[in-house]
Amino acid sequence: MNLAMANIRKSKSATVSLFVFILVAALLLNMGLMVNTQLNAFFDQKTEQLKDPHVTFQMDQASYHPAHNEYLANYSGIKETETEEIINMHSAKVPFGNGELKINFVIYNADTKRTIGPLNLIEKLTTTSINDIYVPYIFKTNGGYKLGDDFTITYQDRDYDYRIAGFLETTMMGTTNGGVMKFMLPDTDYQSLADELDNQSKGMMISVVMEDKKQSPKLNNDFFQNLKKPQTVESTSYIWGLDIELLKNVDSLVIKIIATILIAFSAIIVIVSLIVIKFRVSNNIEDDMANMGVLKSIGYTSRQILSSIMLQYFLITLSASVVGIALSYALMPLIGNIISTLSGLVWINSFDLIINLISIFFVTICVVIVTLLSAFRVRKILPVAALRGGIQTHSFRKNYLPLEKAKGGLHFSLAIKSMLANVKQNIMILLIIMSLTFATVFSVVLYYNIAFDKTAFVNLFGEEPANVMIYAKPDTETNTSELLNHIQQMDQVRNVNIVDFISIKIDDHSVFTSVTENFNRLKNNVVYEGRQPKYENEISISWVVSNQINKEIGDTVKVKYGAETDSYVITGLSQTVGNLGQTASLTMDGIQRLQPNYKGTTLFVYLDGISNKDFIQNVQKQYGNYIADTLDFDKQIESQTSMYTDAVFAVMVIILTITVLVVVLILYLVIQTIITKRKKEFGVMKAIGYSTIQLMNQISISLLPIIITGVGIGSLLGIFFTNPMLSILLSSAGVKRLEFTIHLPIITMVCVGILILSYIVSMLVSLKIKKISAYGLITE
Amino acid sequence: MTKIIIKTEKLCKTFSSGGIQQHVLKNLDISLFEGDFTIIMGSSGSGKSTLLYAMSGMDKPTLGEIDFAGKSLSQLNNDQLAVFRRNNCGFVFQQIYLLDNMSVLDNVLASGLLVNKKKSELVQKAKELLMQVGINDNAWSKFPTQLSGGEAQRVGIVRALINNPRIVFADEPTGALNSASSESVLDVLTNVNQNGQSLVMVTHDMKTALRGNRILYLRDGVICGDLQLGGYSEQNNLERHEKLQHFLAEMGW
Repeated sequence: MNLAMANIRKSKSATVSLFVFILVAALLLNMGLMVNTQLNAFFDQKTEQLKDPHVTFQMDQASYHPAHNEYLANYSGIKETETEEIINMHSAKVPFGNGELKINFVIYNADTKRTIGPLNLIEKLTTTSINDIYVPYIFKTNGGYKLGDDFTITYQDRDYDYRIAGFLETTMMGTTNGGVMKFMLPDTDYQSLADELDNQSKGMMISVVMEDKKQSPKLNNDFFQNLKKPQTVESTSYIWGLDIELLKNVDSLVIKIIATILIAFSAIIVIVSLIVIKFRVSNNIEDDMANMGVLKSIGYTSRQILSSIMLQYFLITLSASVVGIALSYALMPLIGNIISTLSGLVWINSFDLIINLISIFFVTICVVIVTLLSAFRVRKILPVAALRGGIQTHSFRKNYLPLEKAKGGLHFSLAIKSMLANVKQNIMILLIIMSLTFATVFSVVLYYNIAFDKTAFVNLFGEEPANVMIYAKPDTETNTSELLNHIQQMDQVRNVNIVDFISIKIDDHSVFTSVTENFNRLKNNVVYEGRQPKYENEISISWVVSNQINKEIGDTVKVKYGAETDSYVITGLSQTVGNLGQTASLTMDGIQRLQPNYKGTTLFVYLDGISNKDFIQNVQKQYGNYIADTLDFDKQIESQTSMYTDAVFAVMVIILTITVLVVVLILYLVIQTIITKRKKEFGVMKAIGYSTIQLMNQISISLLPIIITGVGIGSLLGIFFTNPMLSILLSSAGVKRLEFTIHLPIITMVCVGILILSYIVSMLVSLKIKKISAYGLITE
Repeated sequence: MTKIIIKTEKLCKTFSSGGIQQHVLKNLDISLFEGDFTIIMGSSGSGKSTLLYAMSGMDKPTLGEIDFAGKSLSQLNNDQLAVFRRNNCGFVFQQIYLLDNMSVLDNVLASGLLVNKKKSELVQKAKELLMQVGINDNAWSKFPTQLSGGEAQRVGIVRALINNPRIVFADEPTGALNSASSESVLDVLTNVNQNGQSLVMVTHDMKTALRGNRILYLRDGVICGDLQLGGYSEQNNLERHEKLQHFLAEMGW
């Protein structure tokens, strides 16, 4: 213990660096593990606490049949059901963040007595008004709303003005991920809205609580398999099912990715710490060889010396891990805010002793193993050999780059000589810089694709990256194709496609389906296996639907739209994390097999050189009579992705900050070691006329090739492995293939940034050479 | 009249430790002359090495002036002193201080290339000097740890000479060597001096001191004796020996 403490006191700065590394590793690991392990429990706990339904079936009133309730009453494992009227505003719009949110609104009567999914308010106004509305918490965390703000819903060309009287918390329909959001109106408001709206907007909601909520996907599936055929022939009829497990997966997707990134990054920092320990233990053994000789000669056993080395690192690791874990609790509210932003639920911070112990144990055991492995050679050193300085410390076997033959300047040559003579140290720096660069490139690619070039990210949600959407009025003398032709002729219009999203039933499952004339004209190809449909009897389905109906490529499915049903061949499997992964694609000819007069209503317009706002104004001016509605799609995407942008930005900042910290500490540690070990050499060089700045440059230049190589390899790994790694991370959420844009200029900037940082830090740390005087060398 | 190369005026050096001041050099006025082989002698702690390194720009005096061939060293900062040393001085240390990670030839070139940019000429000169001090080509690619003490010190001397310094400072260059090696090193230094190179050497060994032509004796930071011995040769060695012995006896050595 005394020896260990003496060693710690002797190398304070190196101890502090190691302490910081381990602290950061334990902090990130603990946060990542806590989020990963507590997330499911958090959602489950919230579902119980808020008494939210485990499954909901939402339908138009025409689709509702008492048989549904009978089926549920006889279904085993159901604890409770409730059926109530709701208002469904299909594709209603509301300002959200800097953009606009267009989504299905399900409006409940807040005053209806219910036991499932009651009104749970996080914040509410103390006063009431005649136009109060309760909106999901996400409108506060992402939408930029606060209590008392005006809240205008645009639906069927009419504005409905409300005042936000409270933010409600719900695990069911509380985010945009499910394609449906839950709102509540006090009874008078609810009734007056219901009176104003048409029958199409009135619906029914069956809420179900199960004994075991894990069975909710099964119920959701079974319900549709056994659905009594509705009597309606309306093309607008629908029955949508949502289950809590699916919503939980989708709502926690990004949170899980963030937690996994934190764990992965903590693993990188643990590896960095282990490399540093290996480096330090080896150096210490060489430096303290004579001392070890003395200890051995006076009777200390190798085991005692080994124990003292191990104890030294064990004490640093243990104390740093404990501090890191304590700090992780201080920082958890930040992660909690991100979770609240993404899930619309208030995160409850809880103490998790098991996870804390796992974090400490994992970090400590890694350190102990590496320390023991690195220090094991102490056993082989004989006292007499140790007293003589042990193994030759300067056994230079090769004179790298003889100055006689070296090209380039003297200082460059000396720097390269020094670099070539320190292979172990270089490998350590290379591995660390490589890992950090990879992590940085990974986070920057993630952020770039979520904050700047959103194409690939939007693709994940199955959205087509158009600029403006135009909804054609039905039943006008101009059909959608003609309107398309007109718009195509407009200036600054690059492309226009009819892309409708309709609800069809595939083997009795309601599936959100995109319909277009030619999928090759779309930018986003969501099919990862097989191909999009080309012919009228073809369909592509998402892998989620494929799993639900147990059909593969080449199989035939029954597709129902309105009253008509026909068979289609599956040509491809698609991926999307939007609409709960339940999507499909049909060609225009394909849907016209079921409804020959189907002509489509939605135009996706791609613009060049004009703002969306100006274009919308122009198109309204020219073709307003034929247009039911327009949507600035970029704004919609902006509003829907802002929550991810903020969360990923936070992750990127964490990774960049830690990268900078680790680069600074590593270079500090290495250069300090270099200066200590080569103090005599630098003193001699100063004596024979080398200036401080020349020696500083020699050190920095000697590290630069290694850092450049590390940055190069790390960035290449980032370029080639970010997408495969993200695909693995996102696979549980329905992503089978990911093609995030690898923006080389940004990556180059990051790499250059790391290099500049490294050079500046190297020069600054090398300034310590100034303190080495040639005279000091002689008087030592 | 021989030209003065180094002149000190009221040179003082004081060290402080734990609040206690130790005056190592006290108001020294010394002149060293071009072409001389000046020996600084004195008992341990008399300030010999301190004087050597103050005059060479390796250390800064506490007070006083050092004039090196008309240039005041007191005004120079550390980096300017480094440039001054590389252009004007050569150093030979007791512990030799060759760079362990460089070969013999590289040790010499690492010093030479700082001043001389014509590499081919410099390499040629380095090889010639190494040959002159008895370091043959088979040793040029060896590392310092592979040399004997005497060989290493002779390489140290070549390193000191490679830039044609105005003066070479040697701090007990034979202090860590056996007698055979010491002789060979002293022969090299004597030979170098006889070829016109100015030398200042600190020693406490009388046999070594005999190689010089002028002996300065330092006691408690003050020069208390200055002996002109005349140039060294095998023939007049006995006479010089007696003269030096007498001088040192006077100094209470």
